[in-house]
Amino acid sequence: MEDKLEQLRDEAVAAFQNAKDEEQLEQARVEYLGRHGRLREAMTNIANLPEERRPIMGSLANRASREMEQVYQQRQQELAQQAAAQEPGEQIDVTLPGRASRVGRRHPLLATLDEMIEIFLGLGFTVAEGPEVENYYYSFEALNYPEFHPAMDEQMTFYVGDDALLRSQTSPVQIRVMEQQQPPVRIVAPGRCFRRDTVDATHCHTFYQLEGLLVDEGVTFADLKGTLEVLAREMFGPACHMRFRPDFFPFTEPSAEVCLTCMICGGEGCRVCSQTGWLEIMGAGMVDPNVLAGIGYDTEKYTGFAFGGGIERLAMLRYGIDDIRLFYSGDMRFLAQF
Amino acid sequence: MRIPYNWLQDYLQADIEIERLCHLLTMGGLEVEEVRDWTATDGEATDQILMTAVTPNRGDLLSMIGVARHAAALSRTDFVDPVTSFPEIDNPVTDREKASIGPVTVEIADSVGCLRYSALLIEDVEVGPSPDWLRYRMEAAGIRSINNVVDCTNYVVWEMGQPLHAFDFRLLKDGYIIVRRAEDEEKLLLLDDTWQTLGPEDVVIADPMGAVALAGIMGGTDTQVSETTSRVLLESAHFDPVAIRRTSLRLGVSTEASYRFERHVDPNLTLPALARAAELIMMTAGGQIAHAAIDVKTRDFATKSLQLRPARCNSLLGTDLDAAAMADFLRRLGFGVEEGELLTVEVPTFRPDVEREIDLVEEVAIVYGYENIELTVPGHLTCTGRLTEQQRLRRRAGELLRECGLCENLSFSMMDPSDLDECHWPQDDACRDFLELANPASSDLTVMRTTLLPGLLTAAAHNARQRVSDIALYEIGTVFFPQDEQSLPGERQHVAVLMTGSLLTADWNLPVEQAQVDFYYMKGIIEQLCGGLGGPELSFVRQNHSTFHPGKCAQVLLGDETIGLMGEIAAEVAEAYDLPDGACASELNLDMLLERAVLYTTHQPVARFPAAERDLAIIVPDNDEFASARLIEEIEQAAGEFLESVTPFDVYSDPQQIGAGRKSIAFRLVFRADDRTLIDAEVEAVMSAVHSYVEEEVGAEVRK
Ligand SMILES: [Zn+2]
Repeated sequence: MEDKLEQLRDEAVAAFQNAKDEEQLEQARVEYLGRHGRLREAMTNIANLPEERRPIMGSLANRASREMEQVYQQRQQELAQQAAAQEPGEQIDVTLPGRASRVGRRHPLLATLDEMIEIFLGLGFTVAEGPEVENYYYSFEALNYPEFHPAMDEQMTFYVGDDALLRSQTSPVQIRVMEQQQPPVRIVAPGRCFRRDTVDATHCHTFYQLEGLLVDEGVTFADLKGTLEVLAREMFGPACHMRFRPDFFPFTEPSAEVCLTCMICGGEGCRVCSQTGWLEIMGAGMVDPNVLAGIGYDTEKYTGFAFGGGIERLAMLRYGIDDIRLFYSGDMRFLAQF
Repeated sequence: MRIPYNWLQDYLQADIEIERLCHLLTMGGLEVEEVRDWTATDGEATDQILMTAVTPNRGDLLSMIGVARHAAALSRTDFVDPVTSFPEIDNPVTDREKASIGPVTVEIADSVGCLRYSALLIEDVEVGPSPDWLRYRMEAAGIRSINNVVDCTNYVVWEMGQPLHAFDFRLLKDGYIIVRRAEDEEKLLLLDDTWQTLGPEDVVIADPMGAVALAGIMGGTDTQVSETTSRVLLESAHFDPVAIRRTSLRLGVSTEASYRFERHVDPNLTLPALARAAELIMMTAGGQIAHAAIDVKTRDFATKSLQLRPARCNSLLGTDLDAAAMADFLRRLGFGVEEGELLTVEVPTFRPDVEREIDLVEEVAIVYGYENIELTVPGHLTCTGRLTEQQRLRRRAGELLRECGLCENLSFSMMDPSDLDECHWPQDDACRDFLELANPASSDLTVMRTTLLPGLLTAAAHNARQRVSDIALYEIGTVFFPQDEQSLPGERQHVAVLMTGSLLTADWNLPVEQAQVDFYYMKGIIEQLCGGLGGPELSFVRQNHSTFHPGKCAQVLLGDETIGLMGEIAAEVAEAYDLPDGACASELNLDMLLERAVLYTTHQPVARFPAAERDLAIIVPDNDEFASARLIEEIEQAAGEFLESVTPFDVYSDPQQIGAGRKSIAFRLVFRADDRTLIDAEVEAVMSAVHSYVEEEVGAEVRK
């Protein structure tokens, strides 16, 4: 009889502990502790025992009952906690828009300029700056522009006084820098320039330029080609090259027009490059000895190269922009993209 | 210039296929921009036209012969020069000032404007339509066919680059040609039927009655060749490029002749061109040369001699060419070369642009081919490529503004003075003293900007009209102001900010005051900017400025100097620019700010002991005397050394609760010692001192 009670208790404990959820536990409770359960059945059997055994068995049964009840309750608590943990509680709509501070952007023209400046900093150039309003001397005379020459036509200069004009290129900075130091000179001069151009999709009276100047002993035209090739490769990858062909600028001799492989067609020819596979991006050349001599440099000892071009076209290629006017539109939808 | 391909073949020995020819010329400095198919209007002739773009230094390439000579040199083939010779032209009557023969007299009275004047009389011509071959060539070149005589002169212009003019000799008074400056107000009816009023700047060809042609630009109608002409006087002259250019620009008349003279024509071409024209006229219009040509030349035009050091040439180009190759290249271009240790080079008169050794180096490079020059990187790095401190600070300023959520804007440096009226700018402000453009490109961009705000307002207006309501823009740019005449105008770097709308990428469920830009947000950005630049001490003082809201505008001071202003845009201005109310803007003098800025700040030790916090709520009159900045200063003074910070956390005014004209401000005071934890009694002692100070010295009511 004692064995039977112990066995019943062990079975009940196992059943309670193995119950996976509240439903199974409830089933086990009904089976062992219910009004018609097996414990009650065992109690009934005790009543049928001889009188002298009844108290002992009764207290044994009570103890088994307490133990079973205890395990049951402990398990019930555990399962309730587990269930509570699985209960969802507060739920939010995870698809509502996120909320953060806005992030500002660099203007795409200046971002392109920054990128070019980085490349030249890496080549040992420093950045020189100068005024946007210049005088005739620094703009033309010191750059070897002859007076009343057709070369002046291309400049389309804005004047703000008898001897004050809006610079049409950043070249005056080169002269100002050379006046202040002896070679070696290794500078790039970025900045805003102006030409009396009518505004359309590819022209604007306001534009940005980057010019470079290197004066030292033994500087060659081959060095100029190599330096600009580095720029092409760093900006647009190893498949991109620079092409040099003769051109004319008063402040360089020999002078070159510099074209870049058209990245749109990969050099095959397309509408953007007028089927040539090349995009004109710069003017360059060896600094004319007249310019160096004007500074007071020894032209037998020092030679140099200079290059310069607009940034707009490169920025347009870089970002796939097809209208130059967007740069000055002030449109947030445009400016927030870069 | 239009170069008909078939016509060009006349001067080339070798047959160069058109694609190759275009490539050679383009890579040789004469850009072929386009090749056009051409068919004659009667459909009887076709050709391909090379459209070339000639650089301003290469007048010699404005002729078929020049192009052919260049193409031949680049392709290392031979060039065929069409030389014509007549004894009357080979042996002209010549003088420095004036020469006559038969009925013709030529006098150069203006030896500055006209350096040489050659003339030839052809008699018994029959003026009529040009033969087909000549008409086709005119048409292919893009020249209107006039008659056989005029077409022949134009043919020579195209072929040789020497502008010619044909006069009806009968109409020249006394057969007397004089080249002189025009008289004041002298009138001339040109061939294009326009009357020109001339002056002493202009060079004219005249007879004793008056001007008959505008020198080097265009002939006059009175003396033009017509069907009735039988005696033709051909003019082949050399004019000063600057004089021609000046007149051409002033009158706005540009012709094939003036275009060439401006770019320099070979002064020794006058007689050969006469010979070629005479040959063609006699071939197409009959007639014969009357007598010797006249050649008045004010001086001799000799070739120049230059020396080229082959080693110097190689060291400039980075090439390894031998002297013989250089000599060969130069000869192909028409230069005479004597080889020795140095090359002695005779420069033909059709290349006035070649004046120095360096110019010869360029010629060598062109014929060698720029493409064939190697790529090298300049050696011995001598300096570090690095931005200067000022440049890095300016970059940092932009970064800080972007970190505040602002996008960079660029607007034009030019503006219209009325832009300042549109934004209700004060009438007497210094910003209305503009630097004016002498030749503006359009009527709305006539002066240089003195402030960046109109540009930002215009950008904001564009966005608002596009229904973009969240606007956050900054601009760093130059403003300009006039200086005395001796120096260049002044330039300053400014930074301006304009914001309106939401601060966040999304603002659903947020109360407006938490999500929208206001005065204090704008002020916070200025504080972030200055703080990030090494924290020059800023202060803000109420300001009146008609562009801004009368109660929400402040002057920004750096130390005791004003560096700019900020505030909420005035309602009238917002309306003018279609902006919502509450847009805020600011503009600072960036140069002044950066002068005081530092790139690197000194490290401040982080506190090790816990702080004690106390709140202080006071009621004060609601006016500028009791501005929060002053109250904070007073509290700092009263609180002593342990006060770490004092910050307002609640500000309100409520007439019902605290009475009209008063405001309540609650401050949080943080106390800390750097060597121990403060005990309550210490803090309480300080707080009670603060209480009595603000009550007795400041006149505030402490709320308990
Ligand atoms: Zn392409």
